[in-house]
Order: sequence, then structure tokens, then C-alpha cells
Amino acid sequence: MSQRAGEDYAEFAAARAGHLYRSACLLTAGDTHLAEDLVQEALGRIYVRWSRVSRVGNPAGYAQTVLTRTFLAHRRRFSSRERARDSFPELADTGADHTGADPSLRLTLLDALARLPAKDRAVVVLRYWEDRSVHETADALNMSSAAVRTRCVRALARLRELLGEDLAEYARS
Amino acid sequence: MPVEQRHNDDSNSDSDNGQAFEVRFSAALHDAGDTFDTDRGALVAAGTVRGRRLRLRRRTTVLGGAAGVALAGVGGALLVPWSGTPSGQPRPPSSVSTTPHPTSSPAARAVTSDEMISTLEKLLPKGKFGKAEGRGVDASEPLVAPYAQVVYDDGRGASAISVSVNRVRPGGYDARQAVRCPDKVFTPYDSCTTSHLPDASVVTVVKGYEYPDRRVDTKLWTANLVTPDGHHVSVSEWNAAAEKDTPVSRDEPPLSAAQLKALAAAQDWRGVVDAIPEDPRQTQEPPMAQEDGKAIRQTLASLVPRGLKVVAHGSDDDSQFTYVVVDDGKGRSLVQINVQPDMSDVAGQLFGAGSETLADGTRVAERKQPGEKGGAGVVMWTVDTLRTDGFRVVVSAFNSGSQQTAATRKVPALTMKQLRAIALSTKWRS
Repeated sequence: MSQRAGEDYAEFAAARAGHLYRSACLLTAGDTHLAEDLVQEALGRIYVRWSRVSRVGNPAGYAQTVLTRTFLAHRRRFSSRERARDSFPELADTGADHTGADPSLRLTLLDALARLPAKDRAVVVLRYWEDRSVHETADALNMSSAAVRTRCVRALARLRELLGEDLAEYARS
Repeated sequence: MPVEQRHNDDSNSDSDNGQAFEVRFSAALHDAGDTFDTDRGALVAAGTVRGRRLRLRRRTTVLGGAAGVALAGVGGALLVPWSGTPSGQPRPPSSVSTTPHPTSSPAARAVTSDEMISTLEKLLPKGKFGKAEGRGVDASEPLVAPYAQVVYDDGRGASAISVSVNRVRPGGYDARQAVRCPDKVFTPYDSCTTSHLPDASVVTVVKGYEYPDRRVDTKLWTANLVTPDGHHVSVSEWNAAAEKDTPVSRDEPPLSAAQLKALAAAQDWRGVVDAIPEDPRQTQEPPMAQEDGKAIRQTLASLVPRGLKVVAHGSDDDSQFTYVVVDDGKGRSLVQINVQPDMSDVAGQLFGAGSETLADGTRVAERKQPGEKGGAGVVMWTVDTLRTDGFRVVVSAFNSGSQQTAATRKVPALTMKQLRAIALSTKWRS
């Protein structure tokens, strides 16, 4: 990588790392350590392909896609070793105060995300956190639009089941 | 994306209540996501390090193009969290930092990028040098591997030569991977030779190509050496002035296999490795390969029809995918398989028109299509099956030993009927 390309990459990575990390935290349902690993892995992959990535119209979107695919690849490889968690002790000290988000709701929400199959979680994060269209989500996940819709409907139904009451007053709060 | 579109997309989610839930959920998700933060600088630095390693690894042992496989080579080792506890397990707050804690050894000394470059130039035969770049040992970034790269011309054409040094866990996964020949099914190469040095170091020389699909015939020859102490030296040379996007300058890279091996074995590099602070992450062992990774391969091998000899097979590190290469005496044939639970929700996409449903409810689709990865004349025959509980077995056979290489025979070594028998075998459930 030339010095110029290296600088461009460094600038891009510095600008996007925070957002990628937040996305990864949602994808992993609050596993912040795994989230760091996934972001590092995604940044590494982007580094390798930077000469091409930097020429595409939307490197930020590309980075998000790489992150999501990295997450799914990780899940495919390691799913049988992952253990169910009933608490997120590491979240206690990350502080939810500065955004005014309700910490207990946050934990409930992450817990609900954790109960979704990995692909459904990826769909939900791309659609409702990244605000991507069904079509864009389908592209990112190598799925058909119909499959994205199916997963989305299924995931939302499940989330509603898990969160309905907790979220009932949310928009008004 | 506007919220309105989201609602239109999900017009089959029943009611206004459903839409209201979507809006509330999206807001809650943003609030929850925004609460996470970390040391971004450390994250970026570690990502860059992985990129460098990944690039080096790709030049050497790991297969081109397959993201999942790259994970196996690099991430597989690195996905072990900092403290070595399994992902998802809580760790004390003191271990949260992504910044490694170097443990300096008494012998540690600084190595500059200029020293790396001059050492490389010194070790090469007489010639002209240009376009040097490198990196020394940086105690503040112990994850960054020192390297040097120069353009070297012995008078018969300019070529890029690079060296990178690193620590690996002695006898560990990375140490084994570094000196393993690439899997020819994914990475074509001309030769791969492993030898042992008198000091018990292992060195593997691979004569391969920059692009696994050989779209440009840039040759990439590498030597990877691992000492019993976990010193890893990786040298690469190309028959072009740069690894990519530069025309081939000569038929072959300048150094012979023996010269490449000697360059990797030079004592100078050992001293550089000694200067690298030990990184706890690198000395962690990755999780062991899943046991059922072996099971799926053995099951597949046991279902190969008589008369076909299994001449190669995939590794045991994936519980849901593997392959075998079979030969009936008329040419090699790659057979790959995926075994996946909980796939009911994609039944609609997989089993459309032309698929059938068996008496027990199992759905079966058969496809004959061209290969997907560039091998000339390669065809892919597939039988896809889905049990009523969502258990999917999909098996494909090719008329070549690899998807990247040209067809070695007219049709795959297995018939559709034989593939069907493999996919529908009850053995997958046991």
C-alpha cells in the first residue's frame, strides 16, 4: 500500500471505527469483546482490499457489509461453542447515561436480540440500525429480497413478543 | 431509508400496531447502539495489524478470495479474546483494553525500518535496489509485524521482494498453518516443499501465483520458516516490480527456492523477532476445531460410492462444510457438501419450480449448472435437500478436482442419482 493510500485508509478507519463498533455490539447482542474482534477483522479485510474499496462509491456502506459478513462467518464457524448468557455484566460499566437511554430497557433489548438467529439479527440491524432498504439488505447478505422480508417479519414478530410491553411507552418517553 | 418505505416493504406485517412497534423498536435500537463506545484508536491500530497479517498470510498459506477461509487462517487465531476466555464470557474490567501489554525481554532492542530494509538488501545477491519500504519494531504497537519490501533487479528484470517477521506460539495453530502447504483445491501452485533445518526449524517453500484464478500470471514464491521458539519469518518474491497491478517483468522471480529458503533462515531475522515484545494475544491458542468437523468429512467419505477413490479432502475445522476429491481413474472430481440445521425459512428460495417433495415431506431440488469460480468447462451438479424440520443437506459434484482449474473430465464422477443418495442418507442425522 502506498503512503497516500495508507493515509487514506487510516483516515477512513478512524472515522468509521466507532460506528462499526456500535453496529458490532448490536450484531453480537452486547458481546463487546467479540464486537471488538469483529471490527478489527473487518478493518483488516478492508485494509487488504483498500485500493479497490476506496474506489467504490460508498466505502462506509461497504465496510458495514464486510462487518456483517464477518459476523455471520464467525457465527457459522463458532456457533456450537457459543453459550447462552443470562446477563451482561460487562455492560454495567459502559454507562448508558449520556444518551438518556434507559439502561434496563437497553439490556432487555440486547437480550431480545440475543434470542434471534444470527441471520435474523443481521437483517434487523441492517434494516433498523443502518436504515437500509430491503433491497440493500438483501445485497449485503447475499439473500433475495423475499428472504429478507420473511426474516424481517419473523424477527419483528419475535421481538414484539419479547419487547412489546417494554417498548409500549418508548416513543412517548 | 425513509420510514415510509420500510412500512411499505412490510405490508404483510399486520397492522398499525405492527408499524408503531417498528418505529419504537428502531428508536430503541438507535438509543441502545449509541451507548457503546470503545478506544477507537486501539481498534483501528489492531485492525491495520490484522490487515497486514492477512495480506501476508494470503500471499503464503491461505487461500485467495474466500472470506470464510481467511477467517480460518487469521481470525480463527485472533478471535480468542484478549484474556483467553471464550467469547461471551465476562472478564474483569481491567482486561477490557484492546491495548496489549508488552512484556519486554532483557534482550529487547529497537529495530528501525531502515535496519529492516538494509538487512534485506544485505542478504540479497548483488543487484540494484529501489522503492524500499519497511517498518521496524515499534514497542508502542507490538501487534504490528516488522517488515521490509524492496524492488530488486539482478539485471534480468525488476521484482518485488518482501520479508516479514513475527512471533507465533511454538507448536501452535499459527505455527502449523505457516508451514503447511496451501490446499490445492482452493489455491493452485506449482510446487510446495517442506524441509527441516539442523536447528529443528521448519521451512516451506511454495511456488505459486499472486492471483489464485491466474487472471494475470504474476508468480509469487514464498518461504515460511518457523523455529522451535516460535520465530516466524516469511519472505515473498514476485516476477514483477509490485505484487499487483504491475506487468510481469521476467519469467520467474529472481531467487531460486534454495536462495529463498536461505533468506528466510538468515540469523539476522531471528534477532528482529527477539526485539518484538511478546503479545499475549498471539500466544493464545485458538479454540480447537469442532469435533463434528471431522465427523462430517468422515460421513461424506463413507458415502462415496464404490469404485471411487478419495484422493484429497478438506480440513476438519468446519462442522457444516467439507469436501472430498474423488477419482475413478478417469480424472478427479470435487464433491462438496453443506449440512445446515434450521433452514426452513429459506425453503421458498431453494425449492421452487421443478423441485419435488418426497413421501416423508423432504424436499429435493436437482440442478446442473456451470461452475462458479472460473475453471474452464467446469460444470456443477447439485442435489439440495431439506427435511421437514429444516435440516438441509446440499451436495455438489464437479468435473474437475477444483473449481478454479479447467475440467478434467466431461461430467462429474458421480451421477445425480448417487448425489441424491448421499444427500438423503440417514447418516447425516446420526
